[in-house]
Amino acid sequence: MAGAAALSTMSAGATLSGCTSSSPAAGMKQLRPEDVELIRALTPAVMKGKIAPGDTTAIDQTLQSYDTLMDDLSAPVVAGLRQAFDVLNFGLTRGLTTGQWSAWSKASLEDAESALARLRQSSIGLLNAIYAAMIRLIISAYYLVPGNATATGYMPPQKVASVAPGAAPAEEAAP
Amino acid sequence: MTDQSKVKLGSSTDPYNSAEERGWNITDASTITAPLQLEADVVIVGTGAGGGTAAETLTKAGLSVVMLEAGPLKTSSQFDMQERAAYRDLYQEGTGRGTKDGGMVILQGRSVGGSTTVNWTTSFRTPPETLKFWADHMGVSGCSAEEMAPYFARMEERLNIHKWPQAPNLNNSMLQRASEKLGYEWATIHRNVRGCLNLGFCGLGCPVDAKQSMLVTTIPAALDNKAKLVHHARVVRVLREGDAVVGVEAEALTPNVRGSTGQKITVRATRTVLAGGAMNTPAILLRSKVPDPHGRIGKRTFLHPTTLTMAIYPDTVAPFYGAPQSIYSDHFQWQHVDDGPVGFKLEVPPLQPAFAAGFYSTAGEEIGTSMDQLAHTQCMIALMRDGFHEQSQGGVVELGDAGQPVLDYPINEYLLEGVQRSWNIMLEMQFVTGCKSARPAHKQARHYASWKEAKAAVAELQIAPHKVTIGSAHVMGGAPMGDDPTNSVNDCSGKFHHLDNLYVMDGSLFPTSIGANPQLSIYGLVSKLSSNLAEDFTA
Repeated sequence: MAGAAALSTMSAGATLSGCTSSSPAAGMKQLRPEDVELIRALTPAVMKGKIAPGDTTAIDQTLQSYDTLMDDLSAPVVAGLRQAFDVLNFGLTRGLTTGQWSAWSKASLEDAESALARLRQSSIGLLNAIYAAMIRLIISAYYLVPGNATATGYMPPQKVASVAPGAAPAEEAAP
Repeated sequence: MTDQSKVKLGSSTDPYNSAEERGWNITDASTITAPLQLEADVVIVGTGAGGGTAAETLTKAGLSVVMLEAGPLKTSSQFDMQERAAYRDLYQEGTGRGTKDGGMVILQGRSVGGSTTVNWTTSFRTPPETLKFWADHMGVSGCSAEEMAPYFARMEERLNIHKWPQAPNLNNSMLQRASEKLGYEWATIHRNVRGCLNLGFCGLGCPVDAKQSMLVTTIPAALDNKAKLVHHARVVRVLREGDAVVGVEAEALTPNVRGSTGQKITVRATRTVLAGGAMNTPAILLRSKVPDPHGRIGKRTFLHPTTLTMAIYPDTVAPFYGAPQSIYSDHFQWQHVDDGPVGFKLEVPPLQPAFAAGFYSTAGEEIGTSMDQLAHTQCMIALMRDGFHEQSQGGVVELGDAGQPVLDYPINEYLLEGVQRSWNIMLEMQFVTGCKSARPAHKQARHYASWKEAKAAVAELQIAPHKVTIGSAHVMGGAPMGDDPTNSVNDCSGKFHHLDNLYVMDGSLFPTSIGANPQLSIYGLVSKLSSNLAEDFTA
């Protein structure tokens, strides 16, 4: 269905090649140091009202959750996502596509909101797709942090006991 | 709202817990440390709706069968209804699959049972309009509604497919109420369940084995009949000797199925059946460099491109609980079969939070405030019937750098007209049933407080690829059947036109989309094709 949790990104080959490092940041499985700065900057803007810019605990939780999500994707999808990161991290393309000319670590909440708005409203489909991939992953990462989904009224079920063999659930009415 | 936070569920229903007693032959290829060589009458690639059905039919006929599955074996003992593990373990690319330009997200299963392990159990026979179109325009013979009926009936009985007898949840109920108010036809969905607890977590793997997926029906039956199952085994190519296919070569995957261990699996077989699903089956054919004189492999791949509207109601809807799909409307489906604007089916999806969060295509305060009202949210979806009109040629499967399938599916004006029209219909349905606000799946939309405001906004929104949110959970076509080799890949017995002993038996055989959730279309067609193959074999 209209996919969703659906963490789709653009495919390999659709984006610019990058100039970033290739090793994950300390404590991360996938996110590189530059990617970490980007996600830190975008998270309070994407989750405005849920995560304040100074709330490092919530930002770090979302970041870790994002890293795990990314690690769960296939290698080709991760490669596509890396290319999207490269567009947003490399100085020239970062500035041209988002208006953020200084490093993401220096971006304010307003800068991040403005960057997201530019990606969203761009007439270039690829940038709309990068926007969609970035926000989907951050939002999904946030709602996959245990406890965060309870604000939606959702009580995540848990298997708490084993049903004895033979104690099969009652059949719904016969067809 | 029902508190389902402490559902008492056990694993007593898990047939794989008694695998040893039942003498089942199951190999986890991630653990092999030497090349594995197997032989069989038939090797079946893939264990979803096509592979599972074929495996049961062929083993029942006394044939020896090896089933290969790229995904992991995950069973109800492990299904804990948690979103993260399900998306990681049970879906293609960890739910990261999309079209080439990122314009559509594609949900497809990837574990033993394929998409049947994670689908929402909605079961429709292939619509007669579709079968007639195939006969009249796509060169398909032997698949009229009358000829298919016994196979659908057989699979309906096998999988306990029946009209859902319980009350729909409110998410579905709103579709019914809106249809009644506006005079649209609607009906109750048939589901493949037995002993369903009406929990609503079908998409995360049924925790009580009520869903009659391949995982708990045909595959156990095939294993009882001495079939071998090898999972974590990704087929790279078919093996050829002259003009005949003699089996397949596969690579063993790491425990997380994200990489290769370097070990090779070879299965030599008298017949080879590809059932990896649309996208994957054409990719195997492309990687194998089989003859394709008319360039048909991977072409005309269809998705039922699906868009949606979200609405917030004063009362609790609890869209994350209860049978995910129980009501549908085909009111807008068959107004034109092939000569007018695109038709679509109306349904609803379940809204577990991380899944639902992706529907909004928005960031900032609106996502948080929308999600805070998720329990009051209803969602309508329109599944567009692609592949019938000349302006709907679907997408093309290509191979990516790693040999993986990549689907290039451009979203054109024909589909975009359907997107915009369906939004108006679905938004009106939500307002007439009393929603407080509703929004279409557009990146620059917001919640609108009245039907009038929503309608005016939809007229103003830029309807363009990447602005609208479209996804798919139904991949079909790419290796279509037909009598004419110039416009099909396989004949109507599923046999590949240009090589001997190679068959396709999955949704990639469809020459168009189905116009309905496709599982029963696959079960019925493969029941027919595999029965014929078994007869052919033993003749």
